[in-house]
Amino acid sequence: MAIPPPLLEMAGIAKRYGGVQALTDAAITCHAGRIHAVLGENGAGKSTLIKIMAGTVQPDGGEIRLEGTARRFAGPADAARAGIGCIFQELSLMPDLSVADNISIADPPRRFGLIDGPAQRRRAEAALARLGIDDIHPLTPVGDLPLSRRQIVEIAKALARNPRVLILDEATSALTAADVDRVYGLLARLKAEGLAIVYISHRMNEIRQLADDCTVFRNGRSVASFANGSRSDDEVVEMMIGREYRHMFPERPARTVPPAPVLSVESLGWTDRLRGISLTVGRGEIVGLGGLDGQGQREFLLALFGVLAGMTGRIAIDGRPVMAGSPRAAKGRGIGMALIPEDRKTEGLMLPMSVRDNLTIAALPALAHAGIVDRAAEDEAIEAMVRLLQIRAGDLDATVAALSGGNQQKVVIAKWLLTRPRLILLNDPTRGIDVGTKQEIYRLLRGLADEGAAILFYSTDYDELIGCCDRVAVFNEGTIGRVLAREQLSEHALVAAALDIAGAAA
Amino acid sequence: MQALVRAFRRSIDPAALIVFACTGVLLAVGSVYSANFLSAGYLLQQLQVAAFLGLIASGAMLVILLGHIDLSIPWVVTVGGMMSTALAGWAPDWAWAAIPFGMLCGAAFGLVNGLGVAVLRLPSMIFTLGTNAVAQGLMVLHTGGFAPQDHATPAMHGLAVGRSLLGIPNALLVWIAVGAAMAFLLTRTTLGRYVYAIGNRERAAYLSGVATGRVIVAAFAISGALAALAGILLAGYSTKAYQAMGDAYLLPAIAAVVLGGTNILGGRGRYAGTVAGVVLITVLQSILSVMQMPEAWRQVIYGAVIIVMLLVYGRGARSAG
Repeated sequence: MAIPPPLLEMAGIAKRYGGVQALTDAAITCHAGRIHAVLGENGAGKSTLIKIMAGTVQPDGGEIRLEGTARRFAGPADAARAGIGCIFQELSLMPDLSVADNISIADPPRRFGLIDGPAQRRRAEAALARLGIDDIHPLTPVGDLPLSRRQIVEIAKALARNPRVLILDEATSALTAADVDRVYGLLARLKAEGLAIVYISHRMNEIRQLADDCTVFRNGRSVASFANGSRSDDEVVEMMIGREYRHMFPERPARTVPPAPVLSVESLGWTDRLRGISLTVGRGEIVGLGGLDGQGQREFLLALFGVLAGMTGRIAIDGRPVMAGSPRAAKGRGIGMALIPEDRKTEGLMLPMSVRDNLTIAALPALAHAGIVDRAAEDEAIEAMVRLLQIRAGDLDATVAALSGGNQQKVVIAKWLLTRPRLILLNDPTRGIDVGTKQEIYRLLRGLADEGAAILFYSTDYDELIGCCDRVAVFNEGTIGRVLAREQLSEHALVAAALDIAGAAA
Repeated sequence: MQALVRAFRRSIDPAALIVFACTGVLLAVGSVYSANFLSAGYLLQQLQVAAFLGLIASGAMLVILLGHIDLSIPWVVTVGGMMSTALAGWAPDWAWAAIPFGMLCGAAFGLVNGLGVAVLRLPSMIFTLGTNAVAQGLMVLHTGGFAPQDHATPAMHGLAVGRSLLGIPNALLVWIAVGAAMAFLLTRTTLGRYVYAIGNRERAAYLSGVATGRVIVAAFAISGALAALAGILLAGYSTKAYQAMGDAYLLPAIAAVVLGGTNILGGRGRYAGTVAGVVLITVLQSILSVMQMPEAWRQVIYGAVIIVMLLVYGRGARSAG
């Protein structure tokens, strides 16, 4: 039986950015009708490889063959014409344009030289229907959609150009569980249609479920390619981090008596998004927030942090009623709250500013006398945090944008640790972060809890909630549907509670 | 050693160096025309003239760093001049308070600007244009439509044209004092750090617990007070306040800030750059007028130089970043 030539073949690819060798001798071979997973920590060179495939970056050396013919893409448009479609981790949608406008942005249907609105709308409807999505109106401005819906539009946009090779870079990281299932179904269909799919994800269970082949990257090299299922998870993770992989999640302390509550919330409400929420978080406890995406978990954290106006209900810290009116009040004396926000690039960091300035921005009042920054104290605090969190930054005076995603998130966390918070709110802090850093973050959180902090931890990753949390409050349409104790935590129980299926706890 | 390297990198500013170099080139070219351009007397005189623009640009820079803009500068300058001279006219016993009173009036307009931007969340470009018009209207009402007879107080006059201490103009000393305070504010205080943070990403700054509203209001108030101070000195310089005395300062002030490497969208820029920008623009204006270039050509050259400088600087910044 003759094996058809690979659809896309890359060999010996090298790329250098300034002083950083991003890729050395990287190779990958993708076949039509197969899903090829690319694994590796952040900074392993996956993104650079993808960018070279998609034509946005030119390689310094190596060969790209499309159906056996050597090719060189002059730019993204060139690669798109050759049939390579790409869905990047960073969203590439224009928030003020409609869904239909966005889907056809590169090549809108024209009539008499003008954009043909109805045709464009039909095209968008067709693209969304192909994804099995019927609750996105093509004329909605993209900016009005939640993040997970935007990602769906992004996928529809790539598909509208009928690619032969489809690259998904962390494309499901923002999706809700239901949408992820739809995407899986779609990928299976596209695979059957003969597309070659390159899939990047940090979620091992996704890869286990989806991929046919895997290639692992480490430090800019492709270290191994193998058929999915031929290696154990531990082996794969070891290949990725290049060291032995121990338990992903730290041990939880045994508890006999419930800890003294640090935070107690009673019948908290906000517009129609949060209704009658009551919850306590004790000293040393990590309480997870679960449920499907967009059930009010984010609003709950923002409400606690004083960002939302017009809340009802009672919030007490250490038994004293408090109602923070702003993040400034929330972090202040007597409350001591910290929020690690959802989007580190726009909410957590001032990207163009230096690592140093970002690290101390929240704790600056404590590092200043009469409004004048005490530089010695600042340097000391920065050094302590860089050491504690092992932030890998070549130059602390360089912009924080130059750091890898995982190190950026460490900076956001460090910024808040400097304020010595007693209550830490985390909004999906490990999204798009490599395994090694995730593990460090889990350990850090457990360490902070052991030192007496109370932690509220929202995550879209069930493994994380199960592995990390002492309890998980599952949200459902703005209320807490069920609180699962540690013994009850399983993926099955979480999904059942999220979907509000009766008897799930059994 | 590392601390030394860092201190060195913190203190040098490539934008300021480029702009100062251009000023040097301009003066060298000018000296071919007349040797006067390199004389100490001429340079001191230029710095004295530059002081007025320098005060205005200092405030404008603070607001631009926030990612906003203050278009009410022209008439707030006039407010400063007119209100201080008016106080001296109304209550001669209070003449000593003329300068603080003028600055206070300017700060009040700045406060309104700040509240409009921070609390009402209106775009600063429109809101400050509105306060500019309001200030203009109020000043016209105040004078009844003609130039008032209110003269500058001796203190104002002395501050604007007098010289002390080795013959250094007082106006320049005022700018040096304000400039030093501004550089300190930007680099060493929490307020300065917050200004940069807001200019880079207001949302992240707010979520870090920065009182963003207060910082914005403070920056606009400082801008208003400094514009008014410039108006007070201008009134002292020409011995009286008059309508539209600030009209010629808006574009040069913003141009000086941007030439000095401050990002017009906020978040980046150093005070040394603004100083360099102010000096360059002042020298350019002076050389063009000394060369008796027709007014129309002066405008063309003036505008072209600003555009070219922006191009040169924009390229440099991108390759460096």
